[in-house]
Amino acid sequence: MNRMILRKGAIFQDFLCAAIFVCAATGVGWLFRLLQFPETNIVVVYILSVILTARFTNGYIWGILATLLSTCAFNIFFTHPYYTLSVDDPTYFITFAIMAITSIITSALTSKAKEMTAEAIRNGQESSALYYLTSHLAEAESADEIARITVETVSRIMDCRAACLCFNEEGKPERTFIQQKGESDQIRRSVPNPDQIQRRIENLRTDFDAEEEFYDWPIYGSESVLGILRIPKTRAEGLADQQKKLLHSMIESTAIAMDRLRVIKERIRSREEAAQERYRGNLLRAVSHDLRTPLAGIMGTSEMIMDMTEKSDARYALADGIYKDADWLHALVENILSLTRLQDGRLMLHKEQEPVEEVIGAAVLAIGKRAPEREIAVHIPDEVLMVPMDARLIGQVLTNLLDNAVKHTLPEEEISVTVSKDSAQQMAVFTVADRGTGISAQDQPNIFQMFYTTKGKGPDAKRGIGLGLAICDSIVTAHGGTISAHNQEKGKGAVFTFTLPLEENTDDKAQ
Amino acid sequence: MIRHSENILVVEDDAQIRNFITYTLKQEGFPCLTAGTAQGALTQLVSGQIDLVLLDLGLPDFDGMEVIRKVREWSEVPIIVVSARDQDNEKAAALDSGADDYLTKPFSATELMARIRVALRHSYKAVGNKAQTVFTVGGLSIDLERHQVSLDGEKLHVTPMEYNLLALFFKNIGKVLTTQYIINEIYGPGYGNDTQALRALMAALRRKIEKSPAKPRYILTEIGVGYRLVDE
Repeated sequence: MNRMILRKGAIFQDFLCAAIFVCAATGVGWLFRLLQFPETNIVVVYILSVILTARFTNGYIWGILATLLSTCAFNIFFTHPYYTLSVDDPTYFITFAIMAITSIITSALTSKAKEMTAEAIRNGQESSALYYLTSHLAEAESADEIARITVETVSRIMDCRAACLCFNEEGKPERTFIQQKGESDQIRRSVPNPDQIQRRIENLRTDFDAEEEFYDWPIYGSESVLGILRIPKTRAEGLADQQKKLLHSMIESTAIAMDRLRVIKERIRSREEAAQERYRGNLLRAVSHDLRTPLAGIMGTSEMIMDMTEKSDARYALADGIYKDADWLHALVENILSLTRLQDGRLMLHKEQEPVEEVIGAAVLAIGKRAPEREIAVHIPDEVLMVPMDARLIGQVLTNLLDNAVKHTLPEEEISVTVSKDSAQQMAVFTVADRGTGISAQDQPNIFQMFYTTKGKGPDAKRGIGLGLAICDSIVTAHGGTISAHNQEKGKGAVFTFTLPLEENTDDKAQ
Repeated sequence: MIRHSENILVVEDDAQIRNFITYTLKQEGFPCLTAGTAQGALTQLVSGQIDLVLLDLGLPDFDGMEVIRKVREWSEVPIIVVSARDQDNEKAAALDSGADDYLTKPFSATELMARIRVALRHSYKAVGNKAQTVFTVGGLSIDLERHQVSLDGEKLHVTPMEYNLLALFFKNIGKVLTTQYIINEIYGPGYGNDTQALRALMAALRRKIEKSPAKPRYILTEIGVGYRLVDE
């Protein structure tokens, strides 16, 4: 409504302007005639009035109107017969025509010049706004600061109370957004429904999203949405194309600044990670050295004592106990080291194409050293099966599973390792099966949890702190595979199955 | 008890382990010397007649790796690294610097003795019988002069590459060969460290010589380091 009134007011003003200039020209012309000046002067004065009209009104229309009015007025007041539109001397028609053409051309030129000036001023303002924005953004040190600067600049240029909602690094909107309140103060407002906003922005097919209070323009970074710029609805509806373009340029600048900040942060983080990695590596080396050395001493010495005593001697059993405990501690240390190595993250997962037979062979050999009396059946495909994996870690998985099988079976009960290729799923399927006690129903859901140990056998019945299977789970998951445990379908015994993808996924390659 | 004449030098800074190793060696009839530092080890090696070195890598004065490099400048004495470090790249580095074998702590006395016997036999073969052209391990034998391989008395057909690989193992019976070393020997230097071709070659060879490739009888895999042809 307001706008319409404004519009009418402007039209009236322009009309008045044209009328006044033409009247003034007529007045001056009258004076010239009284003073006996030649008529050409009067024509020139009318042309001047047209130029002035074009200068002080908006659009060509008023210049043309002034031309018409001037021609009519000249005709009425200054040609015989006076005060009529008829003309005695036909040569005046030439005067009228030239006067009209000259007026139209000059008024058109004037309007054009005026428009160009206006455009130049606008461009100047825009580029200075963009310059202001980018130069300030370049110095910003946090996403918050970037949002503040953007909001302030946009509010000033667009003459509204703009706002900005940042998205965090997971691509989720933050809980609050910044809005310009006055000339120089800003307020933080809470976001009532961040999830909904995120959904709307993700599904956005147009330039902006029209909400109840704001129109939201997404700020697209190189990888994800970095935030949204919010323009109050009333202002956003009235944005001219030119202003929208400017808004886009400003959003672009903001996106570049936010992206730059993220890259810097990422770089700092990876540098810190690398330092931590080195530190952890050194620590690991020290710990493994410091634990293994005394273990070697204990195991070696107890072996020595066993060697010195007869098997019937009570001291032999004692030394054997020491040896077995130390051996168990050794297995534990190895598992903890694997876990630490794994928790170092992807940098330590050092995948290569490995033939499955080599990994299985090494695991079977390791178990053979610990339990020489056990026979382990191995079934592998005839064709060589290469699987991308960290051989040390998958070796640890197989060793743990086999060790578990050895612990839960009697010497005469069968243990087997099978590998097959699932071409449909592009997976290698590893199975470690035994004919032992199997898995009880109450253990089944928790078997891969850390620090879970089988209950119901008394605290000392089975030694273990529940790390082995948890580590298997972590290692297999880190490789992008899955692990599961169930009982034999026929007869008793447990079956552990894990899968490893045959194709390295593209994420890994990118690293 | 058999009296051996080979002197073994035990380089280890941990007294407990030094005791256990020397006790085991003496039980087996080996005269042995000890050193607690790298410097001490080098002095003994220069002055005395040493036939085998058991070397810990983590020594107080300087790294055991340095000892290997220094010793290899003038001597071919067998070196078995005994270390608590188990980073694959360190094992491979030690072997590539000239160590003959690598044992990770903790280890059993039986294992230690087995490795020592292999290393000693290996060194005598290298010194005493360079002209030997026929080697046998279990049912597998190779005739380097006739370029023939046989398994359980029957002639075995192998490709030239497989033959080269097998010959390399037979020249280093009982010794761990690092993947990098094998690649250099088989494919030539400048091939880089592309292990894929070697893995495939090894898998093909195993399918010819092993009954069950996943439970190898002849060529064992040292995960992350390399391969070893067993010595009976």
